Amino acid sequence: MTRTDKPMLDDKALDAFFDAARRESPQTSDALVAAILDDAAAHRPQGSIMSDAPILRSDDARAARGIWGDLVAAIGGWPALAGMATATVAGLWIGIAAPTEVEALSGGLIAGTEISLAADLYALEDLTPGYLNIDILLEDEG
Amino acid sequence: MALDAYAEATDDALLVLYGNGDPMAAELLTRRLAPRVLGYGTRLLGGDRAEAEDVTQEAMLRLWKIAPEWRTGEAKVSTWLFRVVSNLCTDRLRKRRTVDIDAIEEPTDDAPAAVDGMIQADRAVALQSALNNLPERQRMAVTLRHIEGMANPEIAQIMDISTEAVESLTARGKKALAIALADQREELGYDTD
Repeated sequence: MTRTDKPMLDDKALDAFFDAARRESPQTSDALVAAILDDAAAHRPQGSIMSDAPILRSDDARAARGIWGDLVAAIGGWPALAGMATATVAGLWIGIAAPTEVEALSGGLIAGTEISLAADLYALEDLTPGYLNIDILLEDEG
Repeated sequence: MALDAYAEATDDALLVLYGNGDPMAAELLTRRLAPRVLGYGTRLLGGDRAEAEDVTQEAMLRLWKIAPEWRTGEAKVSTWLFRVVSNLCTDRLRKRRTVDIDAIEEPTDDAPAAVDGMIQADRAVALQSALNNLPERQRMAVTLRHIEGMANPEIAQIMDISTEAVESLTARGKKALAIALADQREELGYDTD
């Protein structure tokens, strides 16, 4: 390396040049900023990214959503599914909590205190008139 | 919403906001990034301010266009932008060489006139003159490392080379600058601090 023989600035002296360059950096003009912001406005997506998603044709959409997507679509989409979920939760709650209003309407059938009481009050034949002679049939077979 | 509300947001977050249609985010990104990009482009293009402004506008335009597809966390916005600027400047420098080499101003013509007690502006001009004589990749690496203050791994991403290659480029570039500026000092008869 012949260049090592040449005079060189040391790091401190060289840093002074780098520091000067940083301080003398060109400033963006108002015209440049305006031009950049004009471009930004021209290319700014409108609304959310979701609304900019490409629109699928019906065949493409069906292929893309798969079996579960088809099932959801068949019952009316996500709003219908939400309604079903609400009804399911409400049913579960009524079953577990057995509020007094429901108890009254059911004539005590689902009374929360004594389940055996309901069994005493209502025989299976009372609830399933189509199987009135089930005891007889069972006796015959037995 | 006032710009102050976005002051703490990262470049990444601002670009996503712009991609969601927020105009304020574009303004803040421009204020943050355009001056840095302009300075870097000007140095790579040998001090040609007008051409550097074109490059800055073009690079920012590419940023706006990619915003809706931007994936947060994959790359820093500034790294991506400096890479675009580097490529744009490389293309322009290549065209300069092929179009008319005589039309390019001799970089040594920019040597400072002052001899005693070089002021800051003269130092900046002298450094630009010395940078102009470096090979393009060395100029790029030295500018990013010593003027933009970037770390070697980030420079490696911008230049699409290894960190070791960055170290080599900056070391050789810095040495060449130290010699060039020392030569200039002797010729002009001034002393450093």
